[in-house]
Amino acid sequence: MTAVLGGGVGALFERRVAAGRALGRDAELVARACHDMARRFAGGGKLVVFGSGAAATDAQHLAVEFVHPVIVGKRAFPALSLTGDVATLTGVASRDGVTGVFARQLALLADPGDIALGLSTDGRCELVRAGLVEARRRGLLTVALAGGDGGAIARDRLADHILIARSTDPRVVKEVHVTTYHVLWELVHVFFEHPGVLGPAVHP
Amino acid sequence: MTGVESLYPFLYAGAEGGDVTAVLAEVRRSTEAKAAEIVALRQRMADRYADRLTACAAAVAASFRAGGRLFTFGNGGSSTDAQAVAQLFLDPGAGARPLPAIALTTDVAVVTALSNDVGFEVVFARQLAAFARPGDVALGLSTSGGSANVLRAFDHAAGAGLVTVGFAGYDGGRMAAARTISHLFVVPSESVHRIQEAQTTIYHVLWELTQSAL
Repeated sequence: MTAVLGGGVGALFERRVAAGRALGRDAELVARACHDMARRFAGGGKLVVFGSGAAATDAQHLAVEFVHPVIVGKRAFPALSLTGDVATLTGVASRDGVTGVFARQLALLADPGDIALGLSTDGRCELVRAGLVEARRRGLLTVALAGGDGGAIARDRLADHILIARSTDPRVVKEVHVTTYHVLWELVHVFFEHPGVLGPAVHP
Repeated sequence: MTGVESLYPFLYAGAEGGDVTAVLAEVRRSTEAKAAEIVALRQRMADRYADRLTACAAAVAASFRAGGRLFTFGNGGSSTDAQAVAQLFLDPGAGARPLPAIALTTDVAVVTALSNDVGFEVVFARQLAAFARPGDVALGLSTSGGSANVLRAFDHAAGAGLVTVGFAGYDGGRMAAARTISHLFVVPSESVHRIQEAQTTIYHVLWELTQSAL
């Protein structure tokens, strides 16, 4: 995606409105993703998160939300961002190429009962794509946050849950993603407050 | 009722049931409500900060034109925002001009050395002391407005002649009372999450205005 620049301040804020409202219309998809994530956590799984560029910061944000909740008294869930270990990232990239940096870490660190969550603002990030493919091959629950037309991730249905922010502006997509993962975090806790709906633990 | 019970009374209306359909329906409504809440909050930010964002972008653009660099900092989720801001300025992709920007949260050796040897409150201020020159930009984020290391960084930045840009939430906390922040954007929400979401929009808009002002 290329940058779309220009317009006054009012127009810049206005550009966010449609995508922000569209998230509300995708509430059913968000709720179902939360439910499956909660069931994986209930079964002892951890959350493994990844993205490149700006989405790398979202991966780390998502991990810290789960590990260290901002609301006092909420339980901590295990969550790991694959973007934080620069030694491993650059080591794998320089030896084998950059595409596999997340897939390689998933192969070594993830268990079949885990959750893999990849973020790509246009659904075309090859690193995220490879990570999701590896995660699915290993039996993880797969969740993708994308944008635009969903790219290859949506076209090839590379994740069990695919949430697409309805904008082609990568920055607007990121903003919708931030709300989306805040909601994912909060609502996973809601399911845990009601353990009857967590069902039998998921052990693939 | 506990906080959670008052937020989600449906969960506690009956016995310890497993009515997935009912819970999913309520979770869906909660998602819809939060989406509407952030859309409304962004509109309030547009109304409140249109002029001040334009003025801030002009100051930041002037700094870059004169050879200045951008330094960003924050804790926890705000550290990821600091990195997102630096990444956006430095590597914005096609159609925009890349600009020198450094997040002060990414070098774990430096952050842990300063924390261990001196104290966590100096981790950003000491890095600014090492890197920053008069005319550079210091941009710090704190949802509470009270992060000690962010406030210390602004103390140093103001004294060293940097352009200072702050993001806070609630009523702005100690950042609003400090006299060290020239451009302060406060998101008046009681939710840390909505504050962070609105701050993300504000720094995206600031970046775009800065690109236009260069």
